[in-house]
Amino acid sequence: MDLQAAKAIGAAIAILSAGCSSIGEGQLVAKAIEGMARNPEMYGKLRSSMIIGAALVETCGIYALLISILILFVL
Amino acid sequence: MDKYSDPNIFKSFNPSGEIIVALGVVLVLVILAIIVGILAKRADPLKRPKGLLKIAEWAVEKLDAFATDTMGPGFDNFGGILLGIIPFMFICFTIGITGLPTPMNNLAVPLSLALVTFVLIHYTSVRYTKWHYFKRFVDPIPLFLPMNLMSMWAPLLSMTLRMFGNAIVGWVLISLINASLESASAALFSFMGSGAGSIWFVPIVTPVLHAYFDLFSGFVQTMVFVYLTALFIAQERPEDIEAETINVSRKEAI
Repeated sequence: MDLQAAKAIGAAIAILSAGCSSIGEGQLVAKAIEGMARNPEMYGKLRSSMIIGAALVETCGIYALLISILILFVL
Repeated sequence: MDKYSDPNIFKSFNPSGEIIVALGVVLVLVILAIIVGILAKRADPLKRPKGLLKIAEWAVEKLDAFATDTMGPGFDNFGGILLGIIPFMFICFTIGITGLPTPMNNLAVPLSLALVTFVLIHYTSVRYTKWHYFKRFVDPIPLFLPMNLMSMWAPLLSMTLRMFGNAIVGWVLISLINASLESASAALFSFMGSGAGSIWFVPIVTPVLHAYFDLFSGFVQTMVFVYLTALFIAQERPEDIEAETINVSRKEAI
């Protein structure tokens, strides 16, 4: 197989993890909005913890993007 | 000869642009802190603070409240280090807007920020548990020693890579989109020539990208870093000491 094609396939497999992390992020936001709808006076606190949680979950997707960029341009 | 084993390495000190920008940010913040210190010494405590001093007092008050809220008793003076870390991190993330190189794109900058947290975690652990500090490596049984030695480095690695990954991914995506928009514009407006045709799309789209990847991402990452630092350090304090401190403060209050 061509080296370039192998790198592209590897990068595409690495970026699959970003899809999984976005599923988790969607669940997180859905639950947070459910909590906000049930308890509107907690809106501010829930929003700030939601953003922090989303950033933590997003880290996994960012690792995947970093790895695929490294595979494509550095390896 | 290898670059790193050269004894004359300090004579040929040749830092990259990111390191220079980071040092410049540190210099500006230190000068600001000295100015605020002089203002605070000269200020009349009976009058309302004005201007820079007012902002500084507000920030100190908020961060001290944050430290006592998230970390509990025993960390009342922890707001000081947050006051140093937050402006440095936020400026390092967002300075790419001005066209200067972003310091976070150099692995040394996030690594040193995470090292501060790492050292503080272990310092707090030693401070509260004294010689029992070494017990954490053989917890729960001595068989876990290699695993504990590995997991000791996990906070350092994850914090470094989180900051570095966010910054470098934002930078790469902005560069990719800018390059593609430039060539698209050059193809559409090719009748103007190769130079003048390529400048039409990029200034419209770039502000949105910078607002998300630099401002929003930088703000959220700064917040996450501060929260994680506070929580990691606060969990090093054993429970019984917490109860003791609360009891003492209650006795004093009575």
